[in-house]
Amino acid sequence: MMKMWQRSLVALCALLVLFGGVAYAQASDMPTVEFPYTGNRTAVWIVAQLHTLFGAFVLGAPIFIVIAEWLGYRKQDLRYDRLAKEVTKVTVILFSMTALTGGLFIFVLLAAYPQFTTWFINQFYLVFTVFYPLLFMSGAIVLYMYFYLWDAWKGDKKGRHIALGVLLNLIGMTLLFVIDGPTSFMNTPVKAEGISPQEFLATATLWDKIANQTWMPLNLHRIDGNVAFGGFVTSMIAAYMYMGAKSQEERAYYDWMGFAGNLIAVGATLFQPFTGLLLAYEMCDYDFSFCPYMMADQLSMFFEMQGAMIGLMFLAMNYYLWLSLKRIEGVEKVRMTILAPIVTVAFPFVMMVVMNYYWIPDPMSLAFLVPLILAPFFLGRFIPVTVSARTVIKIGFFMVIVGDAIWLIPRGFAATGATMVAELALPEAWDFLGGMPAKLSAIFTLVFVTVVNYVLYNRAIKQGTILWGKIDFTSQFVLIFLAFTSIWTMGLMGAVRSLVRKYFHTYNLVPDFTAESFTPTLSYSAWWITGISVVFFTVVSFAVIVALRPSDSKGHVPEGSPLPVRAK
Amino acid sequence: MGNIIKKLSIGLVVGGALVGMTRALEFPVIYQMLFLGFSIFGAAVFMLLDAPSVGTMSGAKSVIALVVFYIVLCTVFVSGASMWPQFDPEDEKEKIARILAPKRAATEQGKAEELIARTKALDEQVKALEVRLKALGGDHQVAKTTPVDGVPPVETKAATGDFMKLGEEQWQLQECYNCHKLKGEGGKKRGPELDNIGSYLTVDEIKRKIIDPKSFMAEGFEKDWEKGKMPDKFKDVMEDGDITALASWLNTFKNTSVNTPKPIKKK
Repeated sequence: MMKMWQRSLVALCALLVLFGGVAYAQASDMPTVEFPYTGNRTAVWIVAQLHTLFGAFVLGAPIFIVIAEWLGYRKQDLRYDRLAKEVTKVTVILFSMTALTGGLFIFVLLAAYPQFTTWFINQFYLVFTVFYPLLFMSGAIVLYMYFYLWDAWKGDKKGRHIALGVLLNLIGMTLLFVIDGPTSFMNTPVKAEGISPQEFLATATLWDKIANQTWMPLNLHRIDGNVAFGGFVTSMIAAYMYMGAKSQEERAYYDWMGFAGNLIAVGATLFQPFTGLLLAYEMCDYDFSFCPYMMADQLSMFFEMQGAMIGLMFLAMNYYLWLSLKRIEGVEKVRMTILAPIVTVAFPFVMMVVMNYYWIPDPMSLAFLVPLILAPFFLGRFIPVTVSARTVIKIGFFMVIVGDAIWLIPRGFAATGATMVAELALPEAWDFLGGMPAKLSAIFTLVFVTVVNYVLYNRAIKQGTILWGKIDFTSQFVLIFLAFTSIWTMGLMGAVRSLVRKYFHTYNLVPDFTAESFTPTLSYSAWWITGISVVFFTVVSFAVIVALRPSDSKGHVPEGSPLPVRAK
Repeated sequence: MGNIIKKLSIGLVVGGALVGMTRALEFPVIYQMLFLGFSIFGAAVFMLLDAPSVGTMSGAKSVIALVVFYIVLCTVFVSGASMWPQFDPEDEKEKIARILAPKRAATEQGKAEELIARTKALDEQVKALEVRLKALGGDHQVAKTTPVDGVPPVETKAATGDFMKLGEEQWQLQECYNCHKLKGEGGKKRGPELDNIGSYLTVDEIKRKIIDPKSFMAEGFEKDWEKGKMPDKFKDVMEDGDITALASWLNTFKNTSVNTPKPIKKK
């Protein structure tokens, strides 16, 4: 494992590259380079996406880590503390990778698009030269302190250590908010009615530029996404360790770790569709032409692919839960009100009708949907008819497949409206199946089924006994599948967010005159997204092996109590 | 094995029923196949639910299983994405080049490039003249020259006189068809159908609506008007001449049999 000074050196080098890049950007007449094989745009895409993935993990994991550490402290459960520390070890290594890919990103950007990068850095000069580096350095210092003080600050000092973790998260959160300013600005730069974007920009302050229309939705989507991402990667780490575990005790621990990581990831994922919808809503509100471009034209098939990926993720989340239930003794006694499967089956169809009449933001839809959603939980106790947990979950699976199907039905099998012919389009009477109300009902169905299943699982663990380490081995592949799929989906939607700018570097402000300013095919994008995900996975796998190699865990013994003496 | 046969049979029966229903409802064949696919996929999910447990693997066996799993995942994701209809970037490249041409020309680099192109064209013309003069034995009569080596003559499209064609081209370039139906194509009810717009608005009024979308509101589109659904970017992304051409072309549409909503002046 790298020593602290080595990691600090790597981070420092990356920051020097960043500063050097910024200084270089101020020089005029910089020649543009042509990246071989990939071309300039794809070269930027690769490093930007890698940086985003590493960044997402090092920002998301600490949220997860501190929650785990706090739970361990509160529940006096050493497993949480061990989980938190192991994930921190991996985070520390990946922090260096975030800095390196960040430096590389700015370098590639400057080489490929010198004029635009110069203009862009000038727009956010304070952010790129002061706020971002300062926050990054503070984050690095606090992360290293947090990791190296773990054993020193235990017992009575545990509270102080948790507070340091909270500080780390505050810095991380601020960093995310700061960098989301320029990112969202490229999609939705500040504008005002009746004034040209250039004129308005000339008078805009730094705050105006940062607090653009999609800044806060992007912040929310990314915070939530990063927590889910941190959880999924933690589960993947647990799956690796479970596969390499030599003893039943180790398997029991990593089974638990995988479950805990997945639980937090699923919790955060349930909000992802909604924060994503909010982001899309604000983008369409900013410029309605984004909407058909995304949903009906050049990017429509990207959204079909997104539907397929999210559908698979929800199936996998529920399948993991199914496998988890199988190792609970006494699960066969768990029952649930019949209202739950009834509402589950009725839900997508009722919602489709309601949303067709009362579309967002009309609050009337809530008057129908909220009572329907809450009925199994509040009215269930008054209805004596119950069904077994297995039946509820199987009906849930059926509805997840129905939900996926609704989500995946396109208006037509054509990539753009211009190439649509009747032989490839939905019959007019069934056109509603391709509309947003139908898609929204599908998303809500997936979320509703998952919530019902987790409520059921909660009952099962209260009534039965979990046999940790006895889970079906397939479950470990499910955890890895979830991590890989969530990363792949992040890559896909990151590409969409970037492509929405069409032939602009910054929408309506700075056109991209290069020959690469067109919408690539979904197939081409999928190749690169897969390649980027594989590189990311390889690095993460390497970090896991380096940080948590079996020899460490084999001889693992509790390193003293993390709890204050009086808490025992 | 019994589990697989049972679930597969149910999947095929449900799939067959769905195909029959969708055929009766006149869904295109590709949708019928899609529903069959969902049904088979559903059967596979239920097979997985009732599949026997897999025993714990370790060592090289688990590493090999993991690598194979990743290879399968990558293959499925890439091939899955490639199976959807693919947008052809060639359809867009020419459009983008046309839209960006005036913007590029307005930049310092664009101006320099235009100047170089003009100089080259003039140089070629001079050379051609010299050759011609020599051939004519010193005749000073200047002949009309044609563009040389693919260098385009410097003239605007409007000057060709095909103003209406330019307007129609703008309709395509700015992708107005995404929201407005015209000649029975495009629209999807996002914006008003425009086949009779020429009966309601003059060229100047249409131009005003394009430049300032809040200036007129179509009857029945009150909510969309309030939300400002029609983008107010066209004054920034289009040249004035192009807006005039588009407005003039739209003004020719006076098909009274189409129910184009009446525009109400708001500004």
